[in-house]
Order: sequence, then structure tokens, then C-alpha cells
Amino acid sequence: MKITYIESDGTPHTVDATIGWSIMENAVKNGVPGILAECGGSATCGTCRIYVEADWQGKMSPPHPDETTLLEYVEEERPDARLSCQVSMTESLNGLVVRMPERQYS
Amino acid sequence: MELELTTKRFEDVDYFTDRSLPDEPHSYFEFLRAQGPLTRLPLRGVVAVTGYNEGNAIFRNEERFSSYNAAYGPNPLPFTPEGEDITDQIESHRDGNMIFRMISTFDPPNHTRLRMLLRGLFSPKRLVENEKFMRRLADGLIDEFIANGTVEIVSQFALPFATLVIADLLGVPEEDHKLFRRIFSASGMRTGSLDGVPKQEDNPMPKIEGHFIGYIEDRRSNPRNDVLTDLANTRYPDGSLPPVKDVAALSAFLFAAGQEATVRVAAAMFHILAEDQALQARLREERSLIPNFAEETLRLESAVKSGFRLAKVRATIGDVEIEAGTPLMMCIAAMNRDPAKFEDPNAFKLDRKNARDHVAFGRGIHSCIGAPLARIELKVTVERMFDRIADIRIDDAKHGPVGNRTYRYAPSYIVRGLTELHLAFTPAS
Ligand code: HEM
Ligand code: FES
Repeated sequence: MKITYIESDGTPHTVDATIGWSIMENAVKNGVPGILAECGGSATCGTCRIYVEADWQGKMSPPHPDETTLLEYVEEERPDARLSCQVSMTESLNGLVVRMPERQYS
Repeated sequence: MELELTTKRFEDVDYFTDRSLPDEPHSYFEFLRAQGPLTRLPLRGVVAVTGYNEGNAIFRNEERFSSYNAAYGPNPLPFTPEGEDITDQIESHRDGNMIFRMISTFDPPNHTRLRMLLRGLFSPKRLVENEKFMRRLADGLIDEFIANGTVEIVSQFALPFATLVIADLLGVPEEDHKLFRRIFSASGMRTGSLDGVPKQEDNPMPKIEGHFIGYIEDRRSNPRNDVLTDLANTRYPDGSLPPVKDVAALSAFLFAAGQEATVRVAAAMFHILAEDQALQARLREERSLIPNFAEETLRLESAVKSGFRLAKVRATIGDVEIEAGTPLMMCIAAMNRDPAKFEDPNAFKLDRKNARDHVAFGRGIHSCIGAPLARIELKVTVERMFDRIADIRIDDAKHGPVGNRTYRYAPSYIVRGLTELHLAFTPAS
């Protein structure tokens, strides 16, 4: 099980992912920089944002309205943005590639 | 010579009782840092964590580090740790003492369940409403003292402000706000007091809990279109309805968790602004810098200067061996001044780019759920004071003249902050 996180400057970080952990947990517990996750996964901070291509989006559960509202609140404009704490790692996400914003807060 | 004396004294000092440290804790933390990012204190078997990266890794590893002692600090555990993994011992020693049964002390899965109950309170939609209330509240409190030309900002503004913001967050009807304001007084803020556990009759929590039992019972039988009704009917992720008492205890805990820290940070902000008139002038000109001003204050002043974790299993971090059952003191104030993370860490820099990387709100699953609310509180506080008051100065009559000021800080091993801050000012015309 692998996930690759790409920093805004293009630096990739590939981790051995744990199924059942969120995409956020898989990053912070493996020391990947670029995901701040201030609220620890409560969907209240918006500092765990990732950008996900359509193919991979299709393999993820769609965002809960709370997630969408929070993304709007923190003025995230990209339509491919997700909160990585709200997406669980599953078998079908093996090999997932996500990109991270330059900064998680303005 | 003087340096040697200080070092010697720090070696013998008991951080958890020493009365000289609260006024200037940072040199003690630097003494600890000089021994490494983790270091064992000579007393009580506590390992102190001062490194930013090391602390973050521990905060984010709830599998190995329990929050059982988050509120209990360095006190002797009610059991003798045995074996390789003390998870079962921890879980079988929670009954009875409330100090092991608060959200901040639970581990998953119980922690996860409780945290889910709170989530609805901190939604973006509610935050917008909370902010409107805050503006009204700030103005009302400023009205109370603006004619005087002086104010003691902790008791006359910050405490009632923080208290009633939490009341509003929880949907307490405004006609009851006076009551809530009266229950809390500045002398009642005693988190991590060096004087030991406060007397039961001084503890405002049972009173607050009592009120919430009333509210929750009422809203369960007479639902209305209000926040308390939502709170009363919030379910655990498995669909079950929590007992009234548990919801009431959780609500009351928000006052304990959210009040004192916010008050101390607000006081720190005004302390900085009043001592540095140039900074105040710049911030008045460039209001958009207020949020980063608040972040830098949070970083440098770290109102929650330390917190605790308990090693569930053996761990080696750096060259420090940690046995299962070892209490760790997470020195947030020191992590926030780690030179490996923050350049020129002891300086206050309004433009610091990574100010918000501080861990003043903790990290990981227990990180402050009230942080978004607190950030708005701090912003509204400064904005409304700037709007209504032309110049904010230290009241020399109370703190002494420039160069010879006296300030007192909370006698606590957890909280860092002024007990009183007297300001003098001219109202805006
Ligand atoms: C500037 C003000 C504040 C500071 C510096 C602060 C700091 C903290 C810190 C450091 C923690 C983590 C404790 C740990 O990991 O052991 C925490 C937890 C918590 N805070 Fe805050 N806090 C502030 C304001 C608030 C407010 C306004 C509220 C609520 C309205 C609040 C509610 C909580 C709660 C419920 C927890 C426990 C979360 C959990 O265990 O899951 N805090 N806070
Ligand atoms: S970690 Fe805070 S929103 Fe995801």
C-alpha cells in the first residue's frame, strides 16, 4: 500500500500506507511535511488540504457537506481540493498520488 | 559566575512547586533544552520534551502516548505500572476521579466519540454567528469602563468576554448570561495551581454542570430551534444518545478548557501592544496584520506552557529511554521557541512567516477544538479595542514606570499569563 504526497515545489514523499487511517494520518504519522492538520482530523481547521486528480477522486467517498462548507470557509478555490483527514485509506487507493498546497494557511 | 549560580539552582529546582519560575519560565525551559530535546527531570521521574519535532511526533502518536495524565500532571499514578504495555491498567483506573474522565484525558475510541459530539458546535456557519455576538459583547464590556480612562483588562474585559463567548457557543440563552458571568471570577482561574487542588466549594464546574443538566433535559423533552436543542440531541457515531450527565460534563468542560487560556493570551496581546507603541501604531494602520500578531503572541507567550502524556509502552526517542508508565511533560512554551524551527525564536516578529506553525493549541487528536473560535476572539478583541480606544498604555500607577515595571504571572505549572494587567487610555473621539 503506497501513497505519494507531492509538495508544491514538486518534492515527492512516498509512504507505506496503513489501511483505515485517513490520508492525513498516513502523512503526519510518517513525517510528511506540508500537511499541518491543526485540528487533528476534526474537520474544523482546513490545514490538511490536498489536491486530487479526477481518477482518484472517483475512488474516494464523496465529501460530506461539512467538508465542503469548511473548504469554502477557508477560501479554498480549487475544485479538486479535499480535506485529507476526511478520506480513509482503502485497498482501491493503493498507489494514490496527491498534491499539497504551498501553504496550509494564509 | 552568575550564570553558574543560576544553573545550579535550576538543577535542584522542583518545577511543580517552585514559586519563582512562573514570572520567568523561559530561562528554565532553555536550561532544559540545553540538555537535549528530551530530558529526565531529577524529581518525580518526569521526562520533559522541549524539541519541536520530537514534541510533534509524540502529540501525533496517541497509540503509544496516552492522555490519561493530561490534567493530572506529575502526580503519582493511582497504580504501579507493570509489564510492557499499560493500556489495560490505564483503562481500569479511570472510574471515580473526574480528572481521568474528561475529554482531554481519554484515549481512542472513547475520545473519538466525545470529540464527535463537540464537532457540530464549531462549524463555519456557527463561527460566523459567534463572531457577530462577540462584536456586540466586546462593545458592551468596553461601555462599562470607557469613561474611566483605566481598566484592569483581565477581570473587566478578557474573563467576562471569554466566559460569555463560550456560553454563546453552547447556546446559553442571553438572559442567563449574567448568571454565568457571576459564577466565574479572576481568582477562580487556577489551572495547574502551585497551591495544589482548589477547595471543592471554590470549583465553579459543578454549578455549571447543574445548569446544563437543566438545559439538556428541557431540550430533550421540549425541543426548540436552538443550539442547545442540537447539542441535547447530538448522537454518538453509533447512533446512541449520550446520557444527559455526560453532555452536561462535556459542556462544562468547555469553560474549563476555553476560558483561562484565552484570557491569558488576550492579556499578553495588550501587554505587548501597550509596551510597544510603534507596534501598536503599525497594527492600527495595517489591521490585516492582526491575525499574525495573534499567532506570534500565541507562539511567544504560549498560554498553555506545558501539558502531559503517559507512555503506554517502552520507547526510545533520541538517546532517552522511556519505560511504560513514564509521564512526559510536553513543554509547549519551549517547543514554540525551538531555534531549529523558529529563527531568532525569542524575538517578537510581527511578520514571522511560520508563526502559525506554533503548537500553542497542541497537535494531533487532542489539539484544541476551540482554536478557530479563540482566533476569532483574539481578532475581535483587538479590533474593537482599537476602534473604541485611541491609545492603549500601561498604567504606570499600577505597574511602575517604564524600565521598572512589576508584573505578576499565574502561579501555575501549566498556564502562563498575567494575573492582572492595568491599562490607561484615551477613548477614541
Ligand atoms: C487562546 C486560547 C486557547 C489555547 C492557547 C488553548 C490551548 C489548548 C491546548 C494546548 C490543548 C491541548 C491539550 C492536550 O493536548 O493535552 C487544548 C485542548 C482543548 N481546548 Fe483549547 N485552548 C484555547 C482556547 C479554547 C477555547 C476557546 C475552547 C472552547 C470553547 C477550547 C477547548 C478545548 C478543548 C475541548 C480541548 C480538549 C480537546 C481534546 O482533548 O480533544 N480551547 N487547548
Ligand atoms: S485536520 Fe483539520 S480539517 Fe483536516
